[in-house]
Amino acid sequence: MTDGSTVADLGRFAASGRVPEAEVLARRARRWGWWFFVEAWLRGAKAWAVSILLYMVVTPLLYLTALGLGLGALVDRGAGSVDGVPYLVFVGPALLVSTVVMSVGGELTYPVMAGFKWQRLYYGPHATPATPEQIAVGQLVAVLVRFVVQAGVFWLLLVLFDAAPSGWSWLSVPAAVLTAAAFGAPLQAFAASLEDEGYQFAFVQRFVIMPMFLFAGTFFPLSVMPVALQWIGWVSPVWHGTQLARQATYGASEPLWLTLVHVAVLAGLALGGILVGRRIYARRLGS
Amino acid sequence: MAETTRVPGPWAGLYGGNARAVIERGFKVIRNQNWAVMVSGFFEPVFYLLAMGVGLGGLVGSVTGPGGEPTSYAAFIAPALLATSAMNGAIYDSTWNVFFKLRFARLYQAMLQTSLGPMDVALGEIFMALFRGFLYAIGFMVVMVGMGLVGSLWAVLMVPVALLIAVGFASIGMAVTSYLKSFQQMDVLQVALLPMFLFSATLFPIDVFPTAIQWFVQAMPLWHGVELMRHLAVGHLEAATAGHALYFVVMSVVGVWFTASRLRALFLR
Repeated sequence: MTDGSTVADLGRFAASGRVPEAEVLARRARRWGWWFFVEAWLRGAKAWAVSILLYMVVTPLLYLTALGLGLGALVDRGAGSVDGVPYLVFVGPALLVSTVVMSVGGELTYPVMAGFKWQRLYYGPHATPATPEQIAVGQLVAVLVRFVVQAGVFWLLLVLFDAAPSGWSWLSVPAAVLTAAAFGAPLQAFAASLEDEGYQFAFVQRFVIMPMFLFAGTFFPLSVMPVALQWIGWVSPVWHGTQLARQATYGASEPLWLTLVHVAVLAGLALGGILVGRRIYARRLGS
Repeated sequence: MAETTRVPGPWAGLYGGNARAVIERGFKVIRNQNWAVMVSGFFEPVFYLLAMGVGLGGLVGSVTGPGGEPTSYAAFIAPALLATSAMNGAIYDSTWNVFFKLRFARLYQAMLQTSLGPMDVALGEIFMALFRGFLYAIGFMVVMVGMGLVGSLWAVLMVPVALLIAVGFASIGMAVTSYLKSFQQMDVLQVALLPMFLFSATLFPIDVFPTAIQWFVQAMPLWHGVELMRHLAVGHLEAATAGHALYFVVMSVVGVWFTASRLRALFLR
């Protein structure tokens, strides 16, 4: 980056005589390396902030109007209510979780491959004391920061649409971000393990993300489907996250053990993905 | 190498009479590389049909189909999904695919160094897109018949109509792509397609909207495709059916003319 103001800042900083010792800087990088990567990513993200913000606002508006109100009119006429609430209230938190998870598919596939292969974005930080493990975690955390904003915007719209009656509805935001981590960390590890881009990402999109959106209890309770298909929900992060978000937004009732299972599955997937991903980054960056 | 012929009249310089070479290349690419991706594209509308038709259908019950006949929810959305998948396939082929070959792979520039003209390239690419759309439409029809969602012999016409819809969207999409400079501008297309899919009476009838919004939806091409497919699926033919078909004929003619003139501007400077 040869941004004029940054260079001037550095110059002033050096002239002030308060530049920390090299070891101090290295120690900081060793401890906070993952955060430095997050910071760098967020600064880079400024370039496409406007289009992403537009996407964050427009997508939920479209989905809530079309599926919540339009389709909702049809469902409410047919079934009366779903899970004891109007369809809009039922589908709202699910759409919140699903749209975030669908964005994971964009953020942690091609960009990860670009970091190793096309833009080689990971090799810059790797030349500093920051470790490959920190770069792996930093990439994930950076994306999660974006999802906090995205889920937050969606939650606000849910409130505006009168689709989040509970006072605890804001908890759907952490639920969505946890779900994004549970799906994103393993996906990131997978993307990092690929040497060549073939049809893998298209397959993930078509055979993992799309079915998860459609069959994991987003548009109808899992119980509506034949038992032979219900396992798709059980193994999908989206179902676990959606059920948590439903408890938060309208107080959907579920036994306590099931709630704990949701959290455990999501946390387990996220942690497992991070551990595997760290190893793959370390191997790939060669140290 | 086929004999190339000199083509007189308004196509002079545009058409080398050898679109077959472009098509031959297209089949080679499918055979060598991306048949798996291509085949997988068939599953997307089928997944939608299973999830929405069967899963959501249980909640919705029956809805009003063409001519006021009550119909199952799965039978209501299946024709709409076929129309949507024809649109999506055509748009994907004529935007992302063409854009990549135009700006990154520089494939068209290479082709134009030979005796091929822009029209050969365009015709060849359109043929490949339609071939893919044809396969998907046939596959989807088989699924529909298997699930008992087809109510009339007229439904056979849904396959050629899927191709007509594809030509309409592909020709406009290609012309628009010729203006694009960056991948980011592709997102704008997405902003146009998602609402069209969500609001064009695909998943629910448009009478839930206020009249002004209904008019807007009725001006959009996908709505006409959806209605046309729905009429054919149950064999409910009326004057409006022909009107919907006419919409796509006009759209295709305008689109092809538009694309041809854009190609001239792009390549024959």
